[in-house]
Amino acid sequence: MKKWIPIASGLLAGFIAATISFADFSSNSKTETASANNKSDAEKVYVPFGKKDDYYLFASGGHSGQMFIYGVPSMRKIRTIPVFSPDSATGYGFDEHSKKLMGGYTWGDLHHPALSETKGDYDGKWMFATDVGNSRAAVVDLKTFTTKDIIKVPNTAGPHCAAFVTENTEYMFLPTRFAVPLGQKYEKLDDYSSKYRGVMSAVTFDEKNVKLNIAYQVALPPWSYDLSDAGKKSSKDWAVMTTYNTEEATTTMEVKASQADRDYIVLFNWKELAKMVKDGQYEEVNGQKMIFPEKQKGGIYLVPVAKSPHGVDVTPDGKYFIASGKLAPAMTVFSFEKAFKAVQNKEFSGERNGIPILKYESVMEREVNPENALGPLHTQFDDKGMAYTTMFISSEIVKWDPKTGKTLDRVPVQYSPGHSVSAEGDTVAPDGKWLIALNKIAKDSYLSVGPSHPESMQLIDISGKMKIIQSVPVDPEPHYAQMIKADKIKTIEVYPKDPNNKDAVYNQKDTKIVRKGNEVHVYGIAMRSRFVFEAKAKRPDVIEVNQGDHVFIHLTNIDFDEDITHGFAINDYDLNMEVQPGQTNTMEFTADKAGTFPLYCTNFCSALHQEMNGYFLVKPKQ
Amino acid sequence: MNDRKKLSLTSSLLIGLSAVCIVISMFFPWWKMVFYAPQYPEGLNIIVYPNKLEGQIDIINGLNHYIGMSNFGEENFPELSYLIYLIGGLAVLTLITAMLRNKKLLYGLIGIFVIGGAAGVLDLHFALKNYGTNLSPEAPIKIDPFVPPIIGENTVANFVTHSQLGTGVYFVIAAFLLLLIPLWKDRKR
Repeated sequence: MKKWIPIASGLLAGFIAATISFADFSSNSKTETASANNKSDAEKVYVPFGKKDDYYLFASGGHSGQMFIYGVPSMRKIRTIPVFSPDSATGYGFDEHSKKLMGGYTWGDLHHPALSETKGDYDGKWMFATDVGNSRAAVVDLKTFTTKDIIKVPNTAGPHCAAFVTENTEYMFLPTRFAVPLGQKYEKLDDYSSKYRGVMSAVTFDEKNVKLNIAYQVALPPWSYDLSDAGKKSSKDWAVMTTYNTEEATTTMEVKASQADRDYIVLFNWKELAKMVKDGQYEEVNGQKMIFPEKQKGGIYLVPVAKSPHGVDVTPDGKYFIASGKLAPAMTVFSFEKAFKAVQNKEFSGERNGIPILKYESVMEREVNPENALGPLHTQFDDKGMAYTTMFISSEIVKWDPKTGKTLDRVPVQYSPGHSVSAEGDTVAPDGKWLIALNKIAKDSYLSVGPSHPESMQLIDISGKMKIIQSVPVDPEPHYAQMIKADKIKTIEVYPKDPNNKDAVYNQKDTKIVRKGNEVHVYGIAMRSRFVFEAKAKRPDVIEVNQGDHVFIHLTNIDFDEDITHGFAINDYDLNMEVQPGQTNTMEFTADKAGTFPLYCTNFCSALHQEMNGYFLVKPKQ
Repeated sequence: MNDRKKLSLTSSLLIGLSAVCIVISMFFPWWKMVFYAPQYPEGLNIIVYPNKLEGQIDIINGLNHYIGMSNFGEENFPELSYLIYLIGGLAVLTLITAMLRNKKLLYGLIGIFVIGGAAGVLDLHFALKNYGTNLSPEAPIKIDPFVPPIIGENTVANFVTHSQLGTGVYFVIAAFLLLLIPLWKDRKR
């Protein structure tokens, strides 16, 4: 009977002791923050082998013409995607498909990458980018991380203000940084205001055929269009972009384009523009449907804004757009709702180039001016709707509340951030957690490599008080980036067999070399560790042609095995391409040089990779 | 009197169940070999069904050519074209045994099972021996001939192979056991 007393009292004592030592009397959130803070900075960015990063970062590669893929939070570089410039490492710009995409250009200036969206959220399918250098737009397939289509945009020169996509990727808009005469024909700069235009293009993407097309263009005034964003939710039919040089200066822009106290934000309704085009309210210019805002009225409005703004960013709830002043040390929050009302009530203060100007007071919500914060350029958002603005001149990130204008936090960065990117930071549902400052100057951050240094990307933990926890060098030049949750991207491991591809050969027995006049078509395969061009030949890995022959080498990688990529180079013929697992690629050229040229696999594939070679023999003309 | 020589109804049902197990086994793999290497931590498979091969056969063949092993393929295993009919026939025979409830027929059936099983094991063994020992003398990488086991582990170059029985074979074993139970149960009949 009495035996249970010591047992029960023992248990009770145990419970009390356990409660005192381990019980959590504080609220849950507090403990979480505490434990996150307890993790060292090194632990936060360490991703052990076997584990993968939580986010993909797509950083624009600027005048390298490429795009760089990083993992976040480790900040390890994973891949370079060549987009607007040839890349010998992947044979991009050498094989038939990518050579055609290049369109004869040898460089590009890849500015602002934009992920495809569904309902205002990243869907992880496609990546768009524009080329300021040679006025092109491109689409990258995120199943393979390869560039699939490039379109040359006429009537425009330097689509810096792009790319930005609408809520369901209906359009990708390409406003331009430079004004040029239509068709880029010669016109005197004295006639700038009358003959030059800043043409914006509405590009559509045909997902089925993986083709970019131009739906229509708008002949905006000859100003510079800097950055832009599409509306979200209640503002989804609208888009905004910043302008500078509304002075229409034609020389010494750094001074002459910085005179007016106010420039404009262009606010337009893309659904209305599309309807105008459908109704035939446009003019045909060089094969494009061109809307001239002074003639085909409606759908486009100007909102006055503090001088020479850079970024304009729509809040995740779609209610506000925030302009960053650049030369005026302030951010201006505008209300879409107020703007719609002002449009409806025609609260105009005048007109510029035939476009109505909305009254500043009718649209402005608040001006935000954090103390001594200079050169605001671009704003990103976190999961709570808080804004993070890069300050180029005072070299810092300022966190503030768009609803109150109150400054919440600031952190210095090294040095001079242009854009920043937060996790899914320009969608309707940002994730918070991480922000990366894309800095223009690295200077003393890394081991010196001489007078010029790489750019720098700094990873900032924004889960509590902002703190820089990692800094990595990056090649020129991340202008903007996109950060997407890793599980949204579904890559393929090998290219599936395509029975409709007439150039593909999947069995080495079917390999052959076909001659038609002076055309030579090689249907060959690459496999670990040999080339087979003609199975029946005495030497199946030799291609023999006559000088002057037009040669097509169709090569299929029949190793349907993840990461077994083969390369194919012809020594001294300045040719190299890549065939990924299961892929068929074509190299087309004229064998104008007679002689003996070794051919070999350039992408290390196997223990006998060094033996994976053959000869390309060109018989001299008699 | 006549009824006494017949197997009991329970036994008949067990044999019937055995026939069902055999039919089920045809839809499952009977045997498989998994290849692991430092570069293939996820493993490559050869999965043998009574009528087909599955798994990463092309990749395995591609790698095996380095050691001069001939290609695995359905065309090299004529068994795969008729094995399914033999198994089907066995199922029918088992079902007939269940219906006739004839003890002698059951002995015969068990005999066929034993012989068929032994033949299957030997066939697989010789196939493996053939692959492992008939290595091309021209192979870029020379290794000693080997015979992979039917069940168990083996190491060849950077690969460790694991051979194991498939679900189908377990159904066949179950079918066999189901045939043995009537022998014991009706031992006095």
